[in-house]
Amino acid sequence: MKTNLVASTVFMALGLVGLSSCEDGISEMATEETVKDITGSWKVVQLTRNGEDLSQRLDLSDFRIDFNADGTYTLAEQLPFIADASGSYRLSDPQYPFSLILRPAGIEEDVVARFQFPTVAGKRQLSLSFSLGCESNTYQYNFERENQDL
Amino acid sequence: MKRATHTLLYGYLLVGLFVTMFLVHCGLTALTVTVPEKATVNERVTFVMHSGAEPRIEEPGTYTTQLLAGIMVPKSWNARTNAVLTFTSPKGNGVLRMIPDSEIEPVSGVSWHQAAKNMFGIGPNLVDDFEWIVYRSTQSYTFRNNEDIDFDVNVECNVGSENMLVKLGFYVGSSIENLRPEDTDYKKVAFSQSFEVTGGEGDLIDFVNPQLATVQPVRSLDNDIITLMFDAGVTQTALENEDDIYLTIQGFDEAGLLVAEVNEQTGKTRLTSIGGKRFLIDFWPRGYFSLESVQRIARLEYFVTDASGIRRVGYGNTDEPFTYTFRCQ
Repeated sequence: MKTNLVASTVFMALGLVGLSSCEDGISEMATEETVKDITGSWKVVQLTRNGEDLSQRLDLSDFRIDFNADGTYTLAEQLPFIADASGSYRLSDPQYPFSLILRPAGIEEDVVARFQFPTVAGKRQLSLSFSLGCESNTYQYNFERENQDL
Repeated sequence: MKRATHTLLYGYLLVGLFVTMFLVHCGLTALTVTVPEKATVNERVTFVMHSGAEPRIEEPGTYTTQLLAGIMVPKSWNARTNAVLTFTSPKGNGVLRMIPDSEIEPVSGVSWHQAAKNMFGIGPNLVDDFEWIVYRSTQSYTFRNNEDIDFDVNVECNVGSENMLVKLGFYVGSSIENLRPEDTDYKKVAFSQSFEVTGGEGDLIDFVNPQLATVQPVRSLDNDIITLMFDAGVTQTALENEDDIYLTIQGFDEAGLLVAEVNEQTGKTRLTSIGGKRFLIDFWPRGYFSLESVQRIARLEYFVTDASGIRRVGYGNTDEPFTYTFRCQ
């Protein structure tokens, strides 16, 4: 029993030393948030309407959106989306974006989607939420980059 | 050392036993509600929730908490802005304030209102156009053992401008217990009998009785994705025992002129069976009708048919089409 007590005291002391030694390392680490890069071709993997998952019920296999490095985006075809034409895009903030701002060609007004950029099951997802018709209806589109594994 | 461990263990067991006894024997009594049978549109109506507390606490302990109360009402009532909740009890009367959206219910990780919606759903209603709104008393109250009380929560609310038949939802709870799924003592829920709102313009919105055909979301425009459901189990129709059900549909503009129609029995119009003689089809009207960007559809008229398109079912199982009007309010 005495041995156990000594062992646990030693263990705790070691742990404390370990913790304090980490402190410096953490404070010296660079904490600069990366700039969010959304360029690439994205396909829809999940679509919800007011929280209800419609992914299995709608054929979204042709839904593609390409974000190009020159600040333009391309829609694959006419689909339910906040923009019905290709155009230009920007994020509300390069590091901490809350929204994706689209300016479809030929329209003098921005359209805005709520933006999230989570990693789900090891894959980066682009998650956009917005209303299409009535404001009371919210849609969330979760995209994955095509050929992400390559 | 060994003895100390044992003492600690017994201590834990004892605390656990007390907690269990406390959980089992303490809580709120069943919730009942007084809801009038009907009201006229825009009338301000009072609903009353009746419940009570039965504190069984090991002396000299006490139990301090705030009263929670929730209502489930149609979104069109705008209850968030016009409902007022107050309560009366032997421990004092008071008001309840709506919990801010930004405050997270700790167990579910979402807002209290969303947590209540997730937990209690829409009860016996069949169509979802409801919101749960959760309120909390501004004061805390301390209970001693056997300090049993009855209390009433009064809900004053305008009933909106639409004719409807609806069953309303009510909840009372204790703020420090949160919305734990397994808890049955500190959260009490009740749904009212059918409550009818009359005297307004437009058709009756029936949330309660099974409908042959419904459209979700209840409020949408032609640029929404809508779900059209056909329930063949509601009554005997010409499509009795039919597994292949198709949609034939027309879209009209504000002036009532036909804009577009889809009248074919193909994969595009086939409804998917979801069991229980129910079928549904999801579509985006603007794409479904291949509308030009300047075209708008204000209203739909539709039938469900068999594979030949000859046998068909319409509104109320008649030759009249089902109708749906696009609107947000």
